[in-house]
Amino acid sequence: MSASQSAVRSRAEAVKVSRTFDWMILFTLFFVVLGGYHIHYMLTGGDWDFWTDWKDRRLWVTVAPIVSITFPAAVQACLWYRYRLPFGAIVCVLGLLLGEWVNRYLNFWGWTYFPVNFCFPSNLIPGAIVLDGIMLLGGSMTLTAVVGGLAWGLLFYPGNWPIIAPLHVPVEYNGMMMTLADLQGYNYVRTGTPEYIRMVEKGTLRTFGKDVAPVSAFFSGFVSIIIYFLWHFFGRWFAKTDFISSENL
Amino acid sequence: MKLLKDKVAKLSFVALLAASSAAMLYTPTAAAHGEKSQAAFMRMRTIHWFDLNWSKEEVKVNDTMTVTGKFYVFAGWPETVDKPEVSFLNVGIPGPVFIRQGSWIGGQLVPRSVSLELGETYEFKVLLKARRPGDWHVHSMMNVQGGGPIIGPGKWTTITGSMKDFVNPVTTLTGETIDLETYNLDNTYFWHALWYAIGLAWLAYWIRKPMFIPRSIAIESGKSNTLITATDKKVGMAFTAGTIALVAFGMTSTNAKYPITTPLQAGLLRGMKTFEMPAKTITVKVEDATYRVPGRAMQMTLKITNNGDSAVRLGEFNTASVRFLDSAVLEDTTGYPDDLLAEDGLTVSDNSPLAPGQTRTVQVTASDAAWEVYRLADLIYDPDSRFAGLLFFFDAAGKRQMITVDAPLIPVFI
Ligand SMILES: [Cu+2]
Repeated sequence: MSASQSAVRSRAEAVKVSRTFDWMILFTLFFVVLGGYHIHYMLTGGDWDFWTDWKDRRLWVTVAPIVSITFPAAVQACLWYRYRLPFGAIVCVLGLLLGEWVNRYLNFWGWTYFPVNFCFPSNLIPGAIVLDGIMLLGGSMTLTAVVGGLAWGLLFYPGNWPIIAPLHVPVEYNGMMMTLADLQGYNYVRTGTPEYIRMVEKGTLRTFGKDVAPVSAFFSGFVSIIIYFLWHFFGRWFAKTDFISSENL
Repeated sequence: MKLLKDKVAKLSFVALLAASSAAMLYTPTAAAHGEKSQAAFMRMRTIHWFDLNWSKEEVKVNDTMTVTGKFYVFAGWPETVDKPEVSFLNVGIPGPVFIRQGSWIGGQLVPRSVSLELGETYEFKVLLKARRPGDWHVHSMMNVQGGGPIIGPGKWTTITGSMKDFVNPVTTLTGETIDLETYNLDNTYFWHALWYAIGLAWLAYWIRKPMFIPRSIAIESGKSNTLITATDKKVGMAFTAGTIALVAFGMTSTNAKYPITTPLQAGLLRGMKTFEMPAKTITVKVEDATYRVPGRAMQMTLKITNNGDSAVRLGEFNTASVRFLDSAVLEDTTGYPDDLLAEDGLTVSDNSPLAPGQTRTVQVTASDAAWEVYRLADLIYDPDSRFAGLLFFFDAAGKRQMITVDAPLIPVFI
């Protein structure tokens, strides 16, 4: 025993303190991840997530999962290996979505008056639950990376389709055909986002004809596997306790 | 213990605030008031806006107005700015206070980017529908890939009424009429709320039991396999399978509900119709040009030759959307913004009609506070100190000719 006295006097008190720590850690984790993940996603996914006229079947489907599997992989590594808690992915995504909704609602709509039906965030929750579920059921990083990473990429488009499909209904506008999402982008003037910076429907997957979304999703899933490994190791490194010797604990 | 708890709480609160607020405060660029801060040479030597007209000064919510005019794509486009091969006709307003109902270049609808040719003039029109009440500065604007936004003149316009009344009805090719202002909103909220609730349920299942300290201790003492129970696995299985099933259901039910959807439309429009300006029969040679800093005046010596068949007079010098007029020749009746209009700002040493076949050398002075207000004088600090602009000549019948000038400019400081 060390010279210092124990801070708690009974088992009941120990349980209470431990529980208090639980809430504090979870609360802090949630908001710190929310902040970091949100900034990361904004810088990498940015406009693809901001506007419906960027949510296409090629690039959005490819880019969004790849850049968003990062934090879930890292936090999962930390929570699983240190605590066997399989909610790393969902806690990240719930945080991200809360931050995004606050931002879109208060700033995009409340401050700048872009309609919410034009600037809502992408749904990442199905992929997060499956990623956590596979981690729990398999208990293996490799399995989670391969099966979970692929699922993360594959579930993204169908998970968002019920929300964006209504905006892909075509309309004839002054002699041109466009989707309602294109029309939103045209109607609701963005001075800082001219049409040419919109990266949609570009790429070399032309031979697949109109069935390009599943191909993009598969590709995205494969890259997500690699990114998962990478960020998983970041997470494990971050969760290391080597630098604290056990005597001090 | 108490002390430690307080410290952790305080630190985490600060970290939380800093981290989470940074991203949440992001707002998309909405302001378009950059006209004065844009480098003078950009405004003088890229896109020359002229003949601008704002159809209304006051509009009610749901009513429309147009911004029309022409722009000349300067032949001496600066080397430092990318050529306007990919450009987008925009409108400089603070966010969607108006919606853009239509925009045309040479009669062609331009919801996409276009390719513009140097040395050509184009006619444009932007149709705006008022959405949010207030006083707004409405600019014409051209975004050029690699060159940034090139802002044209702006005029104050007032929108009256209430944004609550704003509607944006659109009829789709499937025969439905919808209000794009609120369309699909309930559906978006529904799916996001549903999935968020499922995500929270998954999280709640795990956080209802003691988490970090006891589980960490168990792992360190080699009892990690006791931490996941059979029930946990069953619940995990149910959530995983349920998620996949719900995604599949959402996909199929959506496809049944919206059998006709098309991909987003994109692509560059080429071969825009140019505007034919009257044939040029006047030639102008800039002998020299100076800018007098204390007098806020630009003086140029022009050698003008009239090869046409009617006598002409110089009526206007237009640079960076600032119009210097000789009121004896031309008066503005279009309601051009006051701050950009120098009604008597143009002085010509001899502005009597220049007969056909004649050549005359004149001193032309363009002076107005606008030089300073719009920071045009800053061009003397540019790496390539040149000025450029449009000269408009008129004959007795009011027929107009546009001549471009592009020459070095020498500043005079005393
Ligand atoms: Cu302005």
